[in-house]
Amino acid sequence: MLYRTDVRSRNFSVLGRAPLSRRRLLVGSLALPMTLLGCNRRRSSEQQGVDLFIASDGDFLAFRPDELTCRTGAVVHLTFHHAGKFLSARHNWVLVYPDQMEAVDKDAEKTEGVISTDDSRVLAVVPMCDKGETMMTEFIAPAPGEYPFFCSTPGHAVDMNGILHVTE
Amino acid sequence: MKSTKKILAILALITFVLALAVPILAAQLKSPDDVKTALRLLVQVSNDFKRQITNKNFARVPHEYMEYTEAADALRTSIKNEPADFKNRVETRLKTAVAAYQKISDMSSSATDPDKLMAEHAKAVTAMNAVFDLFPADFRPDPNLPPPGRGRGQRS
Repeated sequence: MLYRTDVRSRNFSVLGRAPLSRRRLLVGSLALPMTLLGCNRRRSSEQQGVDLFIASDGDFLAFRPDELTCRTGAVVHLTFHHAGKFLSARHNWVLVYPDQMEAVDKDAEKTEGVISTDDSRVLAVVPMCDKGETMMTEFIAPAPGEYPFFCSTPGHAVDMNGILHVTE
Repeated sequence: MKSTKKILAILALITFVLALAVPILAAQLKSPDDVKTALRLLVQVSNDFKRQITNKNFARVPHEYMEYTEAADALRTSIKNEPADFKNRVETRLKTAVAAYQKISDMSSSATDPDKLMAEHAKAVTAMNAVFDLFPADFRPDPNLPPPGRGRGQRS
């Protein structure tokens, strides 16, 4: 309280303005609690943030790990690393709704594996990576369940796939 | 008659020694993990060839050939510190295998019959297995062994 008063008085002297009106005083007195409330909210959403890391199994057609877990509603920051050394094959990471992997993968054959972010069957996509590259994506974890993820380079999904377990 | 028998006996002995020498030599490879990785990559790419042909995704076949040459280079690198004789043996058979996969790639630009390409693929696999024969049995990858991630996403 004392701090607020000090700040106001300092502002007056610096800006040389007239004394505050009642309306301004009311808005000003509400500003601090609202700001603090906002800060609290931000802090709680940060607590729900989850960092997940996944990589290709070197040049092999597999993810390591091939199972991930997070809580529903969490803000997921997923990092994907193409750990290949020898082959020029490109890899990505695509998260889809249950039972949609095959259909999305089939459609991706026509676009050399490129997935549209507008596709309603798709929850999240990490763009295609060349060997040694690392890319990120961010998404809100969906409702509890098991969500398949895969690499959409044509022919890879059969072997290169896994499951995201979303818990309560 | 006796001299003929002697020559045959010596030839048999040489063959026996060579047959023993190759696995012993291979068992003492300087970079066994790199060799195993390279051999697994050859099988993986070979299986990818098969998959693209089966799916009639012929446009992808030349890309698979490029990857096959990269896997072949990985094998060359993995045995670069081995004796020249062993490297030459591997190189001879590897070249034959790479040429066989190149033939599939060349055919894929005009062929629309998966069966024809699969017949060539079977020949290429035979050529690849000839490369594997130069390495100990525990180095040879099982072409039917699925990678760890296989099928997980399809279960849901």
